[in-house]
Amino acid sequence: MHNSLNRLQSVFGFFTTVAFTLGCLIALTDLWAERTPSGVIKATNTQVVKGRPHYYSSKKEEYAIIKFSLDADLSSLFTWNTKQLFVYVTAEWPAPEAGMNATNEAVIWDSIITNPSADHLVNLGPIGKKKLKASAGGKSIAPERGLLKLKNQKPKYQISHPSGKIASAEDVTLKVHYNVQPWFGLLTWNTQSDIGRWKSFAGGVSDQFSLPAVKVKDDKKKP
Amino acid sequence: MLSALGNPRQAAAQVLNFALVLSTAFMMWKGLSVVADSPSPIVVVLSGSMEPAFQRGDLLFLWNRNLLQETAVGEVVVYNVKDKDIPIVHRVVRKYGTGDEAKLLTKGDNNQADDTELYARGQDFLVRKDIIGSVVAYMPFVGYVTIMLSEHPWLKTVMLGIMGLFAILQRE
Repeated sequence: MHNSLNRLQSVFGFFTTVAFTLGCLIALTDLWAERTPSGVIKATNTQVVKGRPHYYSSKKEEYAIIKFSLDADLSSLFTWNTKQLFVYVTAEWPAPEAGMNATNEAVIWDSIITNPSADHLVNLGPIGKKKLKASAGGKSIAPERGLLKLKNQKPKYQISHPSGKIASAEDVTLKVHYNVQPWFGLLTWNTQSDIGRWKSFAGGVSDQFSLPAVKVKDDKKKP
Repeated sequence: MLSALGNPRQAAAQVLNFALVLSTAFMMWKGLSVVADSPSPIVVVLSGSMEPAFQRGDLLFLWNRNLLQETAVGEVVVYNVKDKDIPIVHRVVRKYGTGDEAKLLTKGDNNQADDTELYARGQDFLVRKDIIGSVVAYMPFVGYVTIMLSEHPWLKTVMLGIMGLFAILQRE
């Protein structure tokens, strides 16, 4: 029996199959695109201060403020299937109280870098959005946005520890990570080792350093 | 059109056919759930807190097994807050310690503050068992129909009616 409803149903069914297959093929092209992320990161200035977790808290905790310099080339991660690149810097240090090889890890800075194809989705005011769109110069893929040069960058997040103590922590390292958000397909992060055409991150880990002791408040500034 | 009702054998076949479609869909969902070890292996994004990566209505595929490595900082996870049944999709930004008891803190990419405010009273961190899966794959927009259905309940009735009608009227 072939009535119009039946035909409509099979057309819709065929459409979804084709769309899904096309999406999968597009996702597969990611594997052909070479990925050669690299970067150099260095902690430039560290400081530990005392503060409260929120305004109404009476508890005082130690917070580490780690400034850093980053010089990274993530341009190869931008392809036609890249919606956004999420770049983040973590600080990692051992957690002997939680076990032998236990570690603590916390994000100190992150950034959302959209491909121009996703610029219209960004959470910016109308002026900021216009500027961002103009910066693409009409292109839909902008590898140059993957070139990061940060000098003595202030961290976005001051990090602490559940115990409230972080001063004088030793063997701290900074590490650069990325997360590629596709338009369709698998989300991908730093690879541990080379996978096909995807090379593992060259560099991207800082030398080990120790956090200083709590900074003593300058009495002269206090009334 | 009503001949199906006149022929009980054919009517029974139609009903069975409809039941087969439903149970196939159900078993595929549960099978996926077993493979991914997650109670809900596919979720629809309901809020804009992870924009621009995920919009409302996008479909996410979850994986809840730690085969190669533990759930790490930077992964986008779906978690349930204690005693609340609303799954939230956010990114892990801090992890204190290692193993099942590691303390995890999450944050939405598009939010200013981390999720401490969203957690239950007295809950400062998540642990691994609060998480029902990490996002591994993404499909845009497909889940929007479920948002439509939950926001306009009458659509549900209409759709079920149409589906039932199709199943009954359809002949081999």
